Amino acid sequence: MIQSKEEGLLLSVENLGERLFSLKIYFPPISKKALPGNFCHLRVDKSYSPLLRRAFSIHRVEKEKNSFELLFKVVGPGTKILSEKKAGEKIDLLAPLGNSFSLPGKGENAVLVAGGMGIAPLFYLVNSLLEKEVAPQKISLFFGVKKKDEYLLINEIVSTGIRLHLATEDGSSGYKGMITDLFFQELKARRLKTNRTKFFSCGPNPMLKKISEISRKFNLDCQISLENHMPCGIGACMGCVVRTVKGYKRVCKDGPVFDAREVIID
Amino acid sequence: MIPDLSVKIGRVKFSNPVLVASGTFGYGEEYETFFDLNRLGGVITKTITLNPREGNPPPRTCETPSGMLNSIGLANVGVKKFITEKLPFLRGLKTKVIVNVAGSSIEEYVEVVKRLEGKKGIDLLEINISCPNVKQGGITFGSDPKCAYDCIKAVRDNTSFPIIAKLSPNVADIVKIALAVEEAGADAISLINTLIGMAIDLEARKPGLANITGGLSGPAIKPVALAMVWKTAQKVKIPVIGLGGIMNTQDALEFILAGASMIQVGTGNFVDPECSVKIVEGLKGYCQEKKLKRILDLKGKLKTN
Repeated sequence: MIQSKEEGLLLSVENLGERLFSLKIYFPPISKKALPGNFCHLRVDKSYSPLLRRAFSIHRVEKEKNSFELLFKVVGPGTKILSEKKAGEKIDLLAPLGNSFSLPGKGENAVLVAGGMGIAPLFYLVNSLLEKEVAPQKISLFFGVKKKDEYLLINEIVSTGIRLHLATEDGSSGYKGMITDLFFQELKARRLKTNRTKFFSCGPNPMLKKISEISRKFNLDCQISLENHMPCGIGACMGCVVRTVKGYKRVCKDGPVFDAREVIID
Repeated sequence: MIPDLSVKIGRVKFSNPVLVASGTFGYGEEYETFFDLNRLGGVITKTITLNPREGNPPPRTCETPSGMLNSIGLANVGVKKFITEKLPFLRGLKTKVIVNVAGSSIEEYVEVVKRLEGKKGIDLLEINISCPNVKQGGITFGSDPKCAYDCIKAVRDNTSFPIIAKLSPNVADIVKIALAVEEAGADAISLINTLIGMAIDLEARKPGLANITGGLSGPAIKPVALAMVWKTAQKVKIPVIGLGGIMNTQDALEFILAGASMIQVGTGNFVDPECSVKIVEGLKGYCQEKKLKRILDLKGKLKTN
């Protein structure tokens, strides 16, 4: 993977809900090279506080417009600064970085499990699969959030015609409880095919820990996208490692996509 | 007029005084897609130990105000794999290659430098007697003048490469350590390595690092580094290589004014992968603007009265 360090141009900042934002950035290198699962590493501004770059999954790419989007929640000073940016500002970016999802082969099914902001890379994956003419009924998405109004992009997802399983922790929409519980029940009841199926997941660490355990239990061909604080983002500093059955692996360079059966999340 | 940025350490002549600090630049190859590495004065590798090291459990890094903490634990491929897998790339570079070495005993330091002896593609060794993150590791050698002397002397007796001793700031008097390693035969000293620090996540009531404490780097430590470089450069005759929070040309110039012959960019590489090479250009521009023939004309020229 060749990294491009160029400045992107911020096209829009959209407030999608409570502390939830999307940025649309004009950046020709990414639209040509990006693959689902890749991330970008950006500087929120030129000051030294906050000091380090922030990593975000690529959430949508519009090739013809040379632009891409990322989704984020305001959780600290870095994301706060990002949320206050205005269209027309330059953004210092390294992208696309990291590995990417290995896509289902011909005739295979795709089952995606997203928790909260974990929808970001999986939404890009769904769109890529549909672009590659995978039939919508071959794609299932399990999507869990805390409460109904955290459902990002839901209208767009519904309009694709893929199979959708929803869960909210407060029961305000769909299954009441954790999305991993719903996913587990469907597997256990054999309502989900596991052979000739590729599984994908992204979400908070406790959820991915469950997905990892479920993947080992059912021996699922499952890829999970991890996040971590990444000082360099390009495999040099060894700061963002995750424990796997093959030793520590760098999330930024060996990942962010890993085989769920191999990752050991504490 | 093109200013002379060259600097000599031992018998090695560098095209300019800008190096990249150990542990922040991988084995060099990670950064080659960003710029031509030959534009740097030299590249310093990750610390190499005798055996491969997996490193410390995560979380290994944590951001702090204008800085970061790390506790990587000298994760590296070990000297054998370094020679077979990493050195061939470095050998292809025209810039100077400095291999950073550490051990948990003097015998281990000696064994590593013996294995590196005479290997093509290496120009100098930097001896890490200052890592704060390894139990019974380099720090013990760097925190006592006698230990520092013994370690550097043993390395000196077993390598023909010029050596740089990398010093820890986590000591009562860094000048004493500097004088000891100079006496032991070091060709230069580099300082400072990271300062021991800690962060706490109040919500979780947990330390920011799994190792609890780690090494603080970045702009937050620059004033400490400048003071130590200044103090040390007054007392030693060998060249001082300054590092600690250097992010831009102005920072680099301040270190040179304080007495450094060369500088290293560390955490700055994370913030901007092209930080080091921008400083090379910046130094050139500064010399032209100030009509300096040589960058070293500025060395130690701090006005103190």
